[in-house]
Amino acid sequence: MKLEPVKLEGTRTVGSLEHVWRKSRALFTIWFAQTMVYRAQIVIWVLSGVVPLIMMSVWIGKAAASGGNLEGFTPASFAAYFLAAWVSQQLTVAWVAWEMDFQIRQGELSSRLLRPLDPFWEHFFRHLSDRFVRGPFILIFVIVGSLIVPGTRLTPDLWHVLLYLLVINLAFAMRFLIAYCIGVLCFWLENATAFDEFFYVLLTFLAGGFAPLEFYPPAARAIIEWTPFPYLVYFPARVLTGALSAPEILRVIGVQLLWITVFFVLRSVLWKAGLKRYGAVGA
Amino acid sequence: MKRYWRLIGIFAGSSIAAQLEYRANFVVNVIGSLLTALGSLFGLSILLGTGSSLGGWNQLEAIVVVGVFTLVEGFMGVFLYPNLNKIAESVRTGSMDFTLLKPLDAQFLVSSRNIGILRVADLLIGLGMIVYATVNLGGSSAGGVLVAALLIVAGFASVYSIWLMLCTTAFWWIGVENITELFWGFFRAGQFPVTAFPGWGRILFTFVIPVAFITTVPAEALIGRVQGSAVLGALIVSLLLVVISRSFWRFALRNYTSASS
Repeated sequence: MKLEPVKLEGTRTVGSLEHVWRKSRALFTIWFAQTMVYRAQIVIWVLSGVVPLIMMSVWIGKAAASGGNLEGFTPASFAAYFLAAWVSQQLTVAWVAWEMDFQIRQGELSSRLLRPLDPFWEHFFRHLSDRFVRGPFILIFVIVGSLIVPGTRLTPDLWHVLLYLLVINLAFAMRFLIAYCIGVLCFWLENATAFDEFFYVLLTFLAGGFAPLEFYPPAARAIIEWTPFPYLVYFPARVLTGALSAPEILRVIGVQLLWITVFFVLRSVLWKAGLKRYGAVGA
Repeated sequence: MKRYWRLIGIFAGSSIAAQLEYRANFVVNVIGSLLTALGSLFGLSILLGTGSSLGGWNQLEAIVVVGVFTLVEGFMGVFLYPNLNKIAESVRTGSMDFTLLKPLDAQFLVSSRNIGILRVADLLIGLGMIVYATVNLGGSSAGGVLVAALLIVAGFASVYSIWLMLCTTAFWWIGVENITELFWGFFRAGQFPVTAFPGWGRILFTFVIPVAFITTVPAEALIGRVQGSAVLGALIVSLLLVVISRSFWRFALRNYTSASS
């Protein structure tokens, strides 16, 4: 008897666009359901990231004390800037370094590696679904916030919102890849998550949630603009408030893409080298 | 009472011994503490950059506030976080039962078991900033130092009480283990003198979340321009919080039915 070759359903489409779409949808559905379980915790995380709002009131107090205008910033434009900075900070949150640390240390990574899918994508969809749970709460706070401070104009037109959506997604990709690179260091270092904390401290003071870059000493500002930090919070916030011209926005997008490429390549190199080491330990 | 003091010594000893195993962690955490402190000072210089004062405080005076803030943050990291944040887990797993069975005050047990030695650097850095800025301001009177010390202890008590109340909510709400992050977030307002905020901010950070009493008022005492009413206010708020948190804790215990029941 001659055996017919077994034809597996679905294998035909591996690698096709439809296959990618199905995989993505499945991952998103799973992680969205998981994230919804922790929605109360997410609301607390949203509420506890108040540094930009604290800074908003300090700067408004300072502007009011000096006659209502600080280097072109009025209380209303401070409010708009910091509200936009707060949203940007919320939408670029990434904790993948901690997840990697946990998985590598607990050996959970081994079972993940058996799946026919780079663990990168599971982390990615987990973060993505968080944005969808977080989103409605952020929107509510923004609306309430702009009602509380009279005269706040968050954005002049729809174009800036659309461009912002692009810029903030690129910013998230940057932050996610940076955190991923830090997380991969767990293959070599015992406390790589400490580097994520260092990064977070720098982020707090250099990314723009503390003050608009206009208020930094010129020398410091020049250095900061060469780092990824302002492209995570400051520039997105300026795009949303409509403070940047079209060529400037294009430049921001270009630099963001450049950083994304750098960290994407770095992540791939580190990941490959790290996996070899992980195997060598015998885990 | 003597028994409790002896227990504190034993708990601290075992907790520190366990953590001394990870020495590299200690170095990394000290670097983190220094980085945070430098960031706070850098941020302050930016805020002061466009004018010579922040809500009527000059640079050195504002550094005293940053110092008190860092000191209190150190207190939270060393004494509160490693202890009270474990309440939620032990309610969920049911191990709270063992705590309640011991012939000691349960609140004492959940508050004193561990010491987060990794954050001790924050305490030292905060103290260092306070001393540096106060000395450069021309020193402080003995009375000022005494009142400030009393106010800082009162501030510790306030922070402890707020923290305990937040963690005690775990007896009802299992799902919000990160609830103390809320206070940690809002407390960051305490690195600035409360007068730096506009009117509504001052009211919020004095009466709703009493951050002003915890950092600004002790700093005022050191600088020597504190008002009697502010000292009295800080002490009353602290005492009230201790009493309220204690009753809230006991109320929660009365309603505790252990896991799985």
